[in-house]
Amino acid sequence: MKKTKFIILIIPLILIFFNLSSPQEKPVPLPPTEIKAFDSPNDNGHSISVTWKLSPDDGAGKNNVVAYEILRAESPEGEFEVRGMVPSGENLFDDKGSREKEDKNYLPSHKNYYYKIRAKADNIFSESEVSNPAFAYGQWYHTGKTPVLAGVIIFSIFALTFITLARKGKKLYIRPLPGIEAVDEAVGRATEMGKPILYVLGLGTASDIATIASFTILNRIAKITAEHRTTILVPCYDSVVMAAAQETVRAGYLEAGRPDIYKEENVFFVTSMQFAYVAGVNGLMLREKPATNFYLGKFYAESLLLAETGSIAGSIQISGTDEIAQIPFFIAATDYTLIGEELYAASAYLGKEPVLLGTLKAQDWGKAVVIICLILGALAASFHFQFFLNLFRVQL
Amino acid sequence: METFGLWIAALLTLGIMSFLYKDNPVYKLCESIFIGISAGYWFVSLFWQSMYPRLYLNIRGAVSTLLHEGRISDDRWLYLVAGILGVMMLLRLVPKIGWISRWPLSFIVGSTAGLYFITYLQSNIMNQIRSTIIPIYVPGNLGISISNLIVFVGVFCGLVYFFFSREHKGAFGGAAKVGIWFLMITFGASFGFTVMSRMSLLIGRIDFLFGTWLGLIK
Amino acid sequence: MRRTLPFALVTGVGFFMLVQYFIPKEEFEIAYEWILDWTIVIGCFAMLLGLWSLTRVNISKVQRKTPGWGYSLIAIAGMVFMLLVGFIPGQKSLERGSIFMLLFEYIYIPIQATMFSLLAFYVASAAYRAFRARTILATILLLSAIIIMLRLVPLGPLSEINQWLANFILTVPNMAAKRAFWIGVGLGVTATSLKILLGIERTYMGRD
Repeated sequence: MKKTKFIILIIPLILIFFNLSSPQEKPVPLPPTEIKAFDSPNDNGHSISVTWKLSPDDGAGKNNVVAYEILRAESPEGEFEVRGMVPSGENLFDDKGSREKEDKNYLPSHKNYYYKIRAKADNIFSESEVSNPAFAYGQWYHTGKTPVLAGVIIFSIFALTFITLARKGKKLYIRPLPGIEAVDEAVGRATEMGKPILYVLGLGTASDIATIASFTILNRIAKITAEHRTTILVPCYDSVVMAAAQETVRAGYLEAGRPDIYKEENVFFVTSMQFAYVAGVNGLMLREKPATNFYLGKFYAESLLLAETGSIAGSIQISGTDEIAQIPFFIAATDYTLIGEELYAASAYLGKEPVLLGTLKAQDWGKAVVIICLILGALAASFHFQFFLNLFRVQL
Repeated sequence: METFGLWIAALLTLGIMSFLYKDNPVYKLCESIFIGISAGYWFVSLFWQSMYPRLYLNIRGAVSTLLHEGRISDDRWLYLVAGILGVMMLLRLVPKIGWISRWPLSFIVGSTAGLYFITYLQSNIMNQIRSTIIPIYVPGNLGISISNLIVFVGVFCGLVYFFFSREHKGAFGGAAKVGIWFLMITFGASFGFTVMSRMSLLIGRIDFLFGTWLGLIK
Repeated sequence: MRRTLPFALVTGVGFFMLVQYFIPKEEFEIAYEWILDWTIVIGCFAMLLGLWSLTRVNISKVQRKTPGWGYSLIAIAGMVFMLLVGFIPGQKSLERGSIFMLLFEYIYIPIQATMFSLLAFYVASAAYRAFRARTILATILLLSAIIIMLRLVPLGPLSEINQWLANFILTVPNMAAKRAFWIGVGLGVTATSLKILLGIERTYMGRD
């Protein structure tokens, strides 16, 4: 009797124990469907995109789909390898491969691939059907960059229109810029004092447009100094810039009809390390005591060191840069400062050639278009018209 | 060695700082050492880090492929083009044929111009316009509405200031004046920001002299 | 030949760089990378021109015994010594502990840091000279600078107001003016680049 009671009690306990210790089997999630593979748009031809319809068990209350795994093979029956994973709720994956053949992630273009999607729930999953074959290929045009193309076309039209008008003799007005108007006076001062002019092109390389803009100004100033028989010293930070600066200054002397007084050693290299360059130029300023210093180009932290030393040396100083962080120091320490775009406009001011004035006009029209876009954009944003914002969205 | 180096560093530091009093032979000595050392350092590091791996190792690899595998099709041969352009650059030193150096110069300037024409249009114009398209009126939030309006006015007037083909007179001149006020606020903010970082650099140097070198600051 | 072909090269390479931005194809991507690489290699050759220029200028001063020629001699000696300790050991010269890197660590770095730190004094002298609030613009610049400088300084009851003002300046008018500045610079760079591509801007090429 006691033995029977014991068995009656023990067996349910044993059954309960086994029930608790063996994990409850979760249901296998339903697989995703409608798998579509296609070439990724706007790429270099080494990426395939895959979309699918979410598993019905994704966010369906059972919460048993945590992620989707994307698998790829070279044939429908081939060995599928995992290419990536996305969390539940997402139904797009870009299978980005490398273009290098030696890279293990190499994805050749014009080769068919097949995809499968696994809906994963912890350790269990279900697989979709195999997708259609798809191959990657490069596009001839990146549609996401259309706003930039529109900008190129609009600006080029403005530039070509005003250059043509200027060439036909139409007079184009430009307002006076104090920094530019002071150039003649500054060069004249150097001539009277019998002191040289110092022209610093900045720390940019020949790959910086600010430096190239500065070459144009250097050419004009070299021409004026040649006419006045004043020495111009151009210490350079970059070797290629030095080569271009030598050509520029020599051209200025040629235009002035004074190639005989051109001295190549006056346009020289110092060093390509920032503060060593500054140390060299500072030493030059204190030894040669130039009457006028020009700082036009790309400048960084050394701008104040140069400007203050020039001020100590008693020079008139004209500066200009497109580095916004250095402009306050130039404003504080130099006599005239060309702010940002004024540096790029300076060549037109000095030369007053119709073609250069034409491009200046185009810049102004560009600004006008920007202002109109901003006004329309502000109105569109205030009334929640998202389409206007999308006109300026550039996808890289 | 480290103590010796420390003393050299400290003496050079003091030599450069003597410039604050006035230009003097000690500063000039430090300056000339600085220029010489920096020119040498820059040349050597550029050679070993850029020229050697890009030109020498790649051409050597292509030659090795040709000799050992008999295969001439190797992309690395294209570095010869760069080498030829580089040698053309050096021909500047020969007066009669110095004009040949215009070719590599044109290559650099042309590639830069084409690239920057596009990248500045995208980053400085398109992106800035997109960032400035903000609602002037945000219902229920007066603070943001006022801020957005000020941003809009600031950008508008700043652009008006940079107009070159119209004189700053009348209403146009008024807008330009507001524009330069906004710019001055920015420049003042930049100045204020930078002052703090410059002070910390000086503190660093003082710490080196009195702490690391003389051991007076623990 | 001397100018026509280089200009054709400027236009050709320039327009290629412009067009490749819109074409994602692999061939254009590779060509773009090659052009950037070649530019670096050309720059490496150009550094020889720079060294030659530096040497020539300083040797000329030594030969002519111009005032301060001794310093030119020291500069050349320093450069030559660095070149020797940089090239003789080979690439190992760039490793920590080599004579080359020791010279860089104990001579170049301290001097560079000291020159950078001189800015603290120059900032003060520039501010004293320029920010005397003689004009409205100088006053605005000065006030804005002071508010930003004091934002990290405990000012007692004024701290909160100053912080709010500093935050407002940085997020509103500062951002607005920067955008206008960048748009202006963008148009300037775009215009200058177009002038270079069209051959209107050619001063860097010189004349014959």
